[in-house]
Amino acid sequence: MKIALINGSPKQKDSATGIILNALREKIGEAHECVLCAASSQSGRDVLEAVGGCQALVFAFPLYVDGIPSHLLRLLDEIQHDITGSSPGAMVYAIVHNGFYEGKQNITALEMMRNFCDRSGLAWGQGLGVGAGGMAGAAPVGHGPMKNLGLALDKLASNILGGKTGPDHIFEPNFPRFLYKATAHMGWRMQAKKNGLKPKQLCDKPFLQDKDRQI
Amino acid sequence: MRKKLILHDLAREDAESLLPPESPEYSVFAATPSLHHCVGCFGCWLKTPGKCVIKDRGSDFGALMPLHDEIIVISRMVFGGLSPDAKAVLDRSIGFILPFFRIANGEMHHTRRYEKSPDLRYILYGPDINDREKETAQKLISGNALNFGAKNYSVSFHSTIQEIKEALA
Repeated sequence: MKIALINGSPKQKDSATGIILNALREKIGEAHECVLCAASSQSGRDVLEAVGGCQALVFAFPLYVDGIPSHLLRLLDEIQHDITGSSPGAMVYAIVHNGFYEGKQNITALEMMRNFCDRSGLAWGQGLGVGAGGMAGAAPVGHGPMKNLGLALDKLASNILGGKTGPDHIFEPNFPRFLYKATAHMGWRMQAKKNGLKPKQLCDKPFLQDKDRQI
Repeated sequence: MRKKLILHDLAREDAESLLPPESPEYSVFAATPSLHHCVGCFGCWLKTPGKCVIKDRGSDFGALMPLHDEIIVISRMVFGGLSPDAKAVLDRSIGFILPFFRIANGEMHHTRRYEKSPDLRYILYGPDINDREKETAQKLISGNALNFGAKNYSVSFHSTIQEIKEALA
């Protein structure tokens, strides 16, 4: 089976999307051909050529402003009329992960991917809505806080290889929300410090008149 | 007087005929020519708080946001959301909010950087917008309003760009 894994992160390396797709690649196994595409560096024409003959297209991306990142959106907009010619009969699967805790906040973006399928004539397979996707590198996928992610990818890989559809699966990490929030806040402050900022400068209001600023 | 910021992806000639001219009431920001897309660096949160670090006119929109009472986005609808050009502008504007989280409606969302947040209005156009895409757009603006801190929001759908002038009236 030939499967396209389309990375919709704007980051060339060290992305949560990349970690998730690598884990899915392992679960699909070496017996199947996986074509890797990067929406941040490949044109619509490049992607159409690369996914030629694929039976499954897996789009994975981070949630940006409640939707699809603009560079991936541009790619989807470009290929929507030609993708069925390139990979006729392919089933589309989507993995959306966000920086919030709740997986359900990815539902709107998953709907957009379904709408892409409607417009392009491709069949919708299944969507995963991954909460707290930034934790993907916190532990090996399938273990500890990433246990739910591993289980979801097991099922997704099975559906892809079987050419099956499945209900969208929305889930959170195996990690409490209050700790995720506290850890994220601590992480922001630590990164600010590395950048030479004081924590309170993170809340600067750069575009207001001086009298209205609270620094 | 309510100050309104219009973000649009219209061709120049259409914008000139359909949109109000720049004035104390209206600011207009064109999403075209396309901006560089957000690269996910979080520099607008962690290096130059509130400002996008990419050096192009994209950071100008983020500077205008806190100075207005309403943001009106005029965009071709794509898959139930904004066009790539309009979306690139909003993706580049998350410095308007803080990286920190709050819990609202039982969900995690970002906290405000500025005390006041503009209302949000989407005017979406396309020749064959379907009901499913309209539902998606309703969810999108609801989520965007919550995350940008907008108290009031609305979305309307139009089959031709000529209807935009009426929608703005």
